[in-house]
Amino acid sequence: MNSSSIKRLAMLVLPAILLPLVFTYDVIRAAIEFDNDSITLLRELFVLGSFTLIGLFIEKRRKSLQRNAPREIGRVFFAVVISLVVLALVSVMLPHRISGDGSIRIHQSALVLLASSLLALVIGVLSLYLLLIIHDLVLFKRRKTTWRYYYMYLILLFAACAADVPLLMSEGNTISSILFSLAMVFVVVNSFKQNWIMYLSRREKKYSIIYSILLFIALVGLDVYLASGSESNIAMIAYSRPLHTFIRLNAFFGTIYFGVTFISTLFHLPTAEVFERKQSELVSLHNLSRLVTQVFDFNDLLNTVTQMTSEVCGARSVWLELFSLHESTGEMSVDVVAKRNITQQEIDLIATDDGTQLQRYLMDSRKALLIEDIWADRRTKHLKKKGFARGSLLTVPLLSHGKLIGVLYATKDFQNAFDQDDIDVMTTFADHVSIAIENSRLISKSIERERLHQEMMVAQRMQKRLLPQFLPNLPSVEFSAVSESSLEVGGDYYDLFSLPGERIGIVIGDVSGKGVSAAFYMAEVKGIVMSLSKISATPHELLSRANDTLLETLEKNMFISAIYGVLDVRNASLTFARAGHCPIIYVSQHSVELIRSTGIGLGLTGRTQFEQSTEERTINLRTGDICIFYTDGITESRNAEMEEYGYERLMHIASTCTHCSAHEMKEMILEHVRTFIGQGTYNDDVTLIVMKWLGTSEG
Amino acid sequence: MIDFKIHQRDSENVSVIELKGYLDAHTAPDLETAFQKLMSESKFNIVVNCRDLSYISSAGLGVFMAYVEDVRKNKGDIKLTNMTPKVYNVFDLLGFPILYEIYKDEQEAIGRFQGAKK
Repeated sequence: MNSSSIKRLAMLVLPAILLPLVFTYDVIRAAIEFDNDSITLLRELFVLGSFTLIGLFIEKRRKSLQRNAPREIGRVFFAVVISLVVLALVSVMLPHRISGDGSIRIHQSALVLLASSLLALVIGVLSLYLLLIIHDLVLFKRRKTTWRYYYMYLILLFAACAADVPLLMSEGNTISSILFSLAMVFVVVNSFKQNWIMYLSRREKKYSIIYSILLFIALVGLDVYLASGSESNIAMIAYSRPLHTFIRLNAFFGTIYFGVTFISTLFHLPTAEVFERKQSELVSLHNLSRLVTQVFDFNDLLNTVTQMTSEVCGARSVWLELFSLHESTGEMSVDVVAKRNITQQEIDLIATDDGTQLQRYLMDSRKALLIEDIWADRRTKHLKKKGFARGSLLTVPLLSHGKLIGVLYATKDFQNAFDQDDIDVMTTFADHVSIAIENSRLISKSIERERLHQEMMVAQRMQKRLLPQFLPNLPSVEFSAVSESSLEVGGDYYDLFSLPGERIGIVIGDVSGKGVSAAFYMAEVKGIVMSLSKISATPHELLSRANDTLLETLEKNMFISAIYGVLDVRNASLTFARAGHCPIIYVSQHSVELIRSTGIGLGLTGRTQFEQSTEERTINLRTGDICIFYTDGITESRNAEMEEYGYERLMHIASTCTHCSAHEMKEMILEHVRTFIGQGTYNDDVTLIVMKWLGTSEG
Repeated sequence: MIDFKIHQRDSENVSVIELKGYLDAHTAPDLETAFQKLMSESKFNIVVNCRDLSYISSAGLGVFMAYVEDVRKNKGDIKLTNMTPKVYNVFDLLGFPILYEIYKDEQEAIGRFQGAKK
């Protein structure tokens, strides 16, 4: 048992001892007609002390109870009714010996004394209960002045009670009356503290009206009784005059307070709806804000929005349209993403033919549009014929970065049914949806970007695998090659592969353009070359056949430049044809030359013209000869001054390294190009193959 | 970055397009737009003056390829003129001189069109 429960117990135990003690004293006094001022005073203190303790006990107990004003008022009402019944019973039971002349007789039987004690206890407790309830109601949403007025009442209440303590003030009646009147003033002042009514729901307000009027009537009854000269009342006054004053004042307070409650609740009833609505708006907005962040439950959000709109605005039907722009066609499509209480057919009625006027208006104005009467408004009157229900229509745009991304619609059954609040609420909802949509789009965009990046990485790996993993390893020839894309994937292609009869196929190609589309064609070229290399007798034939195939598949504005060469190891010769590609740089002991055979790019023209204009050449290799194959990524590299690297520089650097190995030559050219570019990377795909003829052992 | 400008003028039944600057993947769409416009206006006798064209990339060359077929179907042609040696080299490497009539002088190309008409 903790100290607080001991305290609570003491609050009940003490009155349980003191009140019977007082009763015993009363009986004795009545029997022996004993009267002593100090004992009378002590008795009065016992009585008041007991009630104070009971009051404190009730107060402590009440704190743990749930507060619901109308229910509390109902409880008080029933308590008052029960008390009145008890009063009536006791009054009937009391012998009618005492005449109503106002004089208080204390020559009473023990039964009468017991009755008056019990009555005082019941009505006293009731009065305390009443005061505590009023205390809670008056101090609801308290302000400084509220406190002040309430405590003024309490002070005056206790002062009036104190003034009625017999013998404390011999002529207490006048002072008590003055204090009583002053307390009444504060009763009236405090009775206007009815803030709590505003926060009641409509249902609660109805209860409040019923209970407060019932309570008012019951309390009026109590007031009348307490002012009457009925025997039980006089007996109660005889029991304790201060207690009686206390009871009377509180009863007055209750009467006036709940009278005012009744009237103000009555006046507040029409505003109940507004208040309830504001409350539901707040709750909805709270829920919405939470949902907005959960963009993964996007459909949830859309459904919640339509549901909330219909609940908060009391709309008959609600639907939400989102606009999406088809990137390929550039056309705007409208999708109904959420709807309540309306069919797609009905929605379509608004959207089709005549309805475009409404949509155009929304597109242009980007403001909420209120149509007070669907059948009468010029923008929607066509709906009358189509059987669309009469009523009002409210449309609110969904805006994102100033762009119209959707529309929230709501209809009500009557004309002029939407008010400014509806517009405000729907605008807020629409804003939330816009934010959520924006969020979700951003997230999916970044997911998409990440996905694309991953895919590009895969493409890059795959493309790298299309390039030769190992270069032919022969004693008579040295190869070194490199291919770098300026983007993740590129359109450059090279390959080196063995052919029957100690021959090696060499291919270099460049698809016009860069990036993914070029990469696709590059893969196609690889396939074509691989298959044709086995069946084509000469480079010219291979390129001509490749041209046939590519002409069919390439887009009109795409073409491919390529060189296909066959190194015949036994004959020490390189036979090649150039299909529009950068000419081979041939480095011999004495000279460096561009071998510019005629030729035309793949996919540019038909077979005949291609065959006619593409020439095949053969170089007879001598030991130490170097052939350099490259793409225009090298010759068209630019420095900061937008100067091109060009053929001159390439030929010059090649001439300085005639004794280099293939690898050294490749590295030297790359280094030279990089130095020329300076800062930054290659601006195009760069491919370079260096072939050095070492000569056959017998040669 | 680098400027690319297209100027178009009509000389009787021949449309002359003057190119200036760098024609690459970034600026190719501009030339495409210009050709598109000529197509829609049914102007199929086209002379492209390359006097001030400093550079042309494969994407730039692709634009000519994209339209030449349609132009020729409509009994017209795209003729190229006034190329600098550097630009001519790019055309030449790819074998474009086989596919296109290339003239030193714009008037010569225009004359060809008018000669054909007569």
